[in-house]
Amino acid sequence: MGANLTPTIDVIFTLTIFFMLVTRFNSAEQVPMELPKPDDSRARVVSLPQRVVINCRAESAVDAAPTPVLYSIGPNRPEPLAVISDRLAALKQQAPGLKVVVRADRRIHYRHVRAVMRVIAGHNIEMLNVVAHVSEEEE
Amino acid sequence: MWKPPGERQDTPRRRGEPGTRAASSRRRRAGPRGTQIAVSFAPMIDMTFLLLIFFLVTTTFERAEGILASQFPRDAGAPAVALPLSPIVVRLRQNGPEHGDFDIAVDHFGNTPRDFAELTDVIHRIHDEPGFDRETPVVIVTDDEVRWDHVVACWNAALRADCARIAFAEP
Repeated sequence: MGANLTPTIDVIFTLTIFFMLVTRFNSAEQVPMELPKPDDSRARVVSLPQRVVINCRAESAVDAAPTPVLYSIGPNRPEPLAVISDRLAALKQQAPGLKVVVRADRRIHYRHVRAVMRVIAGHNIEMLNVVAHVSEEEE
Repeated sequence: MWKPPGERQDTPRRRGEPGTRAASSRRRRAGPRGTQIAVSFAPMIDMTFLLLIFFLVTTTFERAEGILASQFPRDAGAPAVALPLSPIVVRLRQNGPEHGDFDIAVDHFGNTPRDFAELTDVIHRIHDEPGFDRETPVVIVTDDEVRWDHVVACWNAALRADCARIAFAEP
């Protein structure tokens, strides 16, 4: 008596195709954090060439204030804002059309993000690109 | 067409004769020298299992990330647009220690929307006033202690009101 493996293989194929279709690989620079989720979000999925991502994440997962904030460029380890400013200056020299994207945790205070804005604006970068979750329709 | 058993035997075919199932099976399996060729599905199923396990382990279901674009605070860098005398100024003020303790106010118009959906409606109504349209800059002024989530929600509310120019200013 032999087991009929055909339905099993059918299901496995179906599952494999499903996961292949729905999987979206995150970039390493997308450090895990709680991003802002505005209602009916107007955030758009766009690919920015020559971009640098500055992550601002809360050190503690507890919602209580005040929460220390860790700043990092992409997947690098956290650094003081002064160091990030120096790195940004070097990157801006290499690529004058550099775009800066700020990924900030939704729980941190505005002053923490404003400090990053000042650093970015200090390098004559006019546009501010901020990451938020897109609406379900956009997905 | 059905034939009685006696008539069926009128055209007997022996096993292996051309046109029989055995002959076609032999054509499929026999190589040039008569060697047996069999298609093995085992490696393909192994690969499929490996792919399935990979995707099962690596997949996390999260909402996609998008980008909101705006201009920098006026005093932090050179603004990209020259602001006219009467922009729409939206203020976010923290009025308590809790996460949701904040007020929304629109300067010069006496509006205090209760939430960001209402803020969108208020900006829409201001756009209908003489001298205002979607090109009128919206300046967001936020207290230091307001959560970033609310700042982005305010920004998003202005975008929902079709505002083309959104900027930040120091509190």
